[in-house]
Amino acid sequence: MKRIRNKFKKEENVRFISHLDVMRLFERAFRRADIKIAFSKGFNPHPKISFGNALMVGATTDGDYFDVEVCEDILPKDFKNKINNVLPKGIIILESFEVANEDILSSRIVAADYLIKFSTFENIHDIYDTYKKFIEQPSIEIEKDTKKGKKVIDIKAYIIETKLLFYDGKMGEIYVKLKLGEGTPTPLHLLKAFNDFLDGLINLENYKLKREKIILDTDMR
Amino acid sequence: MEQLKEKIDSLLMRVSKPTRYIGGELNSVEKNLENVYIRFAFAFPDVYEVGMSHLGMKILYSLLNEEDDIYCERVFAPWIDMENLMRENKIPLFSLETKTPLDKFDFVGFTLQYEMSYTNLLNMLNLGNIPILSKDRKEGPFIIAGGPCAYNPAPLSEVVDIFVMGEGEEVILEIMEVYRKWKNISGKRDEFLKLISKIEGVFIPAFYEEIYNSDGTIAEIKPLKEDISPRVKKRIIKDFETIFYPEKQIVPFMDIVHDRIMLEVFRGCTRGCRFCQAGMIYRPVREKSVEKLLELADKLIKSTGYEELSLTSLSTCDYSQIEDLVKKLIEKYHDEGVGVAIPSTRIDAFSVNLLNEIQKVRKTGLTLAPEAGSQRLRDIINKGVTEEDLMVSTEEAFKAGWNTIKLYFMIGLPGETFEDVEGISDLVHKVISIYKKVRGNLKDLKITVSTSIFVPKPFTPFQWVGQEDVNTIIEKQDLLKKNLRGKNIRYSWHDHRTSFLEAVVSKGDRKVGRAIIKAWEKGCKFDGWDEYLKYDKWLEAFEEEGIDPHFYANRERNYDEIFPWDVVDVGVNKKYLLRELNKSKELKTTNDCRVFCTGCGIKEFDEEVKCFETH
Repeated sequence: MKRIRNKFKKEENVRFISHLDVMRLFERAFRRADIKIAFSKGFNPHPKISFGNALMVGATTDGDYFDVEVCEDILPKDFKNKINNVLPKGIIILESFEVANEDILSSRIVAADYLIKFSTFENIHDIYDTYKKFIEQPSIEIEKDTKKGKKVIDIKAYIIETKLLFYDGKMGEIYVKLKLGEGTPTPLHLLKAFNDFLDGLINLENYKLKREKIILDTDMR
Repeated sequence: MEQLKEKIDSLLMRVSKPTRYIGGELNSVEKNLENVYIRFAFAFPDVYEVGMSHLGMKILYSLLNEEDDIYCERVFAPWIDMENLMRENKIPLFSLETKTPLDKFDFVGFTLQYEMSYTNLLNMLNLGNIPILSKDRKEGPFIIAGGPCAYNPAPLSEVVDIFVMGEGEEVILEIMEVYRKWKNISGKRDEFLKLISKIEGVFIPAFYEEIYNSDGTIAEIKPLKEDISPRVKKRIIKDFETIFYPEKQIVPFMDIVHDRIMLEVFRGCTRGCRFCQAGMIYRPVREKSVEKLLELADKLIKSTGYEELSLTSLSTCDYSQIEDLVKKLIEKYHDEGVGVAIPSTRIDAFSVNLLNEIQKVRKTGLTLAPEAGSQRLRDIINKGVTEEDLMVSTEEAFKAGWNTIKLYFMIGLPGETFEDVEGISDLVHKVISIYKKVRGNLKDLKITVSTSIFVPKPFTPFQWVGQEDVNTIIEKQDLLKKNLRGKNIRYSWHDHRTSFLEAVVSKGDRKVGRAIIKAWEKGCKFDGWDEYLKYDKWLEAFEEEGIDPHFYANRERNYDEIFPWDVVDVGVNKKYLLRELNKSKELKTTNDCRVFCTGCGIKEFDEEVKCFETH
């Protein structure tokens, strides 16, 4: 048994497929690639694959992760090539490497970098200053849907770093590094809060979200 | 095109299930449009997840795309949220593959699986900027339609240009061949229709006229041109073993209704249930060999990576080599985690044992369809199942560990009394007692009982029968609601309004067709989805068209009445159907035609076709 960790990319054309869809898609790709993977026992056997934090529907990523337990002796680079040959357009494995069996993906994940492209209804002249002021508030409360209903949380507690990268009078782009963990808000919550701060000048029906990468604690060492 | 793609993309953030509209799935076909001569839009008049579960689409999509100069793309009915945004933003209905507007195709082909999707068909044409009426279309795509509901072409006769009767994979390329030549010489629309009307299985509704008697029944279906055949014979696949079958099937990103490989084991059914249209129109029974099926299964598993393979047929357990096939499939794919599914199960111990075998890989549900609650009524409908069968098979199933069971019945069957309906609940309670006997308690038992409402269908022995009146249906449902209480039972029933409309349309003529258009104009669509059915709008439409819906749904027909669908010859003849109707009235059953021939007419229909051919 080998545990292979994979970093993958999800492009524009598949940005609307859900986390669950992506999981199923890989399961089927292993079968097409004829790679024997481990299955759970029981009435409805499931392949032993674990994914990092779910990506929002509509977002792309250049660096999400999943682990899979493989039942054959295969080199990670061969594994990567074999899977990439059978994946639908827009999903690509970027890197595969072997990790110890007790190395659990979810406990490695610490943060993620995001880019949000947005557009505004009118030119906001002092938007860089406004963003600074927005971020420098003592707390930024947002409402989050949870299984137990709506919950108000402070998104500032999750922001490691953020910056308004550019704005041309119509379109802008925000970079944010968010702590990932139980109950982490999404960058969209941030955008919505910024929109409230701007009294609704951002067009929330027209934005693009990209996860640049998930950051593992192994990356930080 | 790029521009349209971007416009569509910008809407997707705002709709439910955006994956319905993106295309690009594994095994979907990409072609260079410069090398394509004929563009075919295969349109399914329902949402993506329903349409993508349909076998006929998989077959014809692959078959057409095998031809280098033909590009077949897929189109589905957008869900209501998407439709609203499309209309608001002036986005025409588009194909998934290249996001091409519907009116830019050479053909738009609809499969007619369900009468209550006809308003969706009209809505899709309209969303695609295509005039609803055939006579108003001077250019743009030809509208072609097939599928089981096409066997009564009358209701959509003023909308559809070309009907294909019978098995499409046998006919479609012949039509394409004529089209190539016609397109080359830029002929007139009417000329093309005339040319293909010579192909067996092709019915051009514009070449016929319905003439009525003073009582509203049909006097004649009259060919309007001299050299037009008064009746059209359906097409039958001559060699089912070697006929094209897709070795690749599209693997959707999203979860669809039937999210698995479909492997068709045989076509047709030998049981002869008298209510069942599929059992009549898909005759004769033709099987594929185990070797062929294993070869196809292997290719399909490799090309899709699916975790489940479904052996699809009308009554799969009737396949002559079923045990052998299932055993071999399980042996071969067990280790890869690929399960086998059998969608419809006979009620006997044999089938339950077979399912046991299947369960070793993946747990499947158990669904049994006794259809009626008493032996008398089961004899009337020729459902060759006894109460004993049901008791034995459920006992076997409970012993084998099943806790969940679904039972399907029909109410409103010809000759059904309230006692027969009581029989349904009695049966359910007997099944519960069996569970108690086997397991000692009822803790984990879940029984789902579902009743549909009988809709008399064309080309069945019950085509002469009227549908039971709505009030009696409601009373019967109420009786069952009362009798099927308890924490182990879940009872669900069909909406009587939908079944009534289905009865009107399925036996409708061209006048009903006009009412369908009216209903659509009044906003009807997704009529098969209970929450969207606008029943009052339908009633208004009937009234405005001067139609009495009961005349179509509830009226018992005379034996010599000419039906709108008599213009089609499905092989099973009227004499046989009538004989079966009369036997049902005498409570006489008819044997399965695997035992010996029951003389339905299919053998005389086409000398080349051998009935129940095994390899």
